[in-house]
Amino acid sequence: MATEPMTNPVEDTVAKVDGYVAVGEDLEFQRRWWRFERVVWTVFVLILVCDLLGLLGRGYLAKAQSKTSDQSVTMDYERIERTNTPSIITVNFGPGAIHGGEVRLFVSGSVVKELGAQRVVPQPKTSEIGDGGVTYTFEANRLPATVDIALSPSLPGIHHFTLGVPGSEMVQAKVTVLP
Amino acid sequence: MVVATVLRAVFGYCFLILMVRVVGRRPGAQLTPFEFVLVFYLGGLTLTGVVADEISLTNAITQIVTIALCHYTLTWLRTRSPRIARLLDGTPLILLERGRWRTDTLSGMKVQDDDVMASARVQGVKSLEEIDTAVLERNGEISILKAQK
Repeated sequence: MATEPMTNPVEDTVAKVDGYVAVGEDLEFQRRWWRFERVVWTVFVLILVCDLLGLLGRGYLAKAQSKTSDQSVTMDYERIERTNTPSIITVNFGPGAIHGGEVRLFVSGSVVKELGAQRVVPQPKTSEIGDGGVTYTFEANRLPATVDIALSPSLPGIHHFTLGVPGSEMVQAKVTVLP
Repeated sequence: MVVATVLRAVFGYCFLILMVRVVGRRPGAQLTPFEFVLVFYLGGLTLTGVVADEISLTNAITQIVTIALCHYTLTWLRTRSPRIARLLDGTPLILLERGRWRTDTLSGMKVQDDDVMASARVQGVKSLEEIDTAVLERNGEISILKAQK
């Protein structure tokens, strides 16, 4: 047997104008919403300004440089990065870093894992794992000697890393990766 | 990561709803070419961040299901709570009442008197004097109530 449809008496619950127009306007709510919109637009502008300055990565304020006290290693990197977005750590070696036509570079494991190292340019002659990282060896006879490490971080967060010539002072740095 | 995939989809949906809500209602039942650009551009840009580099069918299905659930939940909440309905859809707003414009509402909603007149013409009203009340509805349409002679 077919069931009867459920019904309710018709009641007008919204406001009326002169008893015949049901509009349901809530002007007080709308005024609060306009105030909220003004706050949102201000936040949007601030986000854009932060982005242009590099506070959200890939800009002037995101760039950073660290060096050892003897300047054997100078590193240019981005202190603020974005996930899945390429960036480069550039390592410049000073005269004290080259020994016997070679330069060695230790990179902590966080560069490979958290910061997503994609490739090292130039191609290292050898790679050696140990001490919680990778030690690369490059042929180098003259200055300037530079190594680029291409990154593409896959996880947001604050990541620390260490880099330098084994047996010498290391450069430590912190990178904030935004989602 | 599956959780990140779901969270990105939820964030993308909520962020787009906020954007569309804040950008505002424009009068007219249909999108203008100007608004088409906004809708498609916002959608496309959100997609790049939400999908990221996970282009598998599994990821697409997970995110579609997530967005469908979000939408269902919001729709359900909207029917249960007038407050949430107001937050999501706004409130009808009177633009013109008994021969007087509501100027703060017109400027707040970026609506011009021409927009009201265009809607009036569609509804068979030939002059502003014939309008008793003009209401900007929640869906962006302008309802015209004719003055009684």
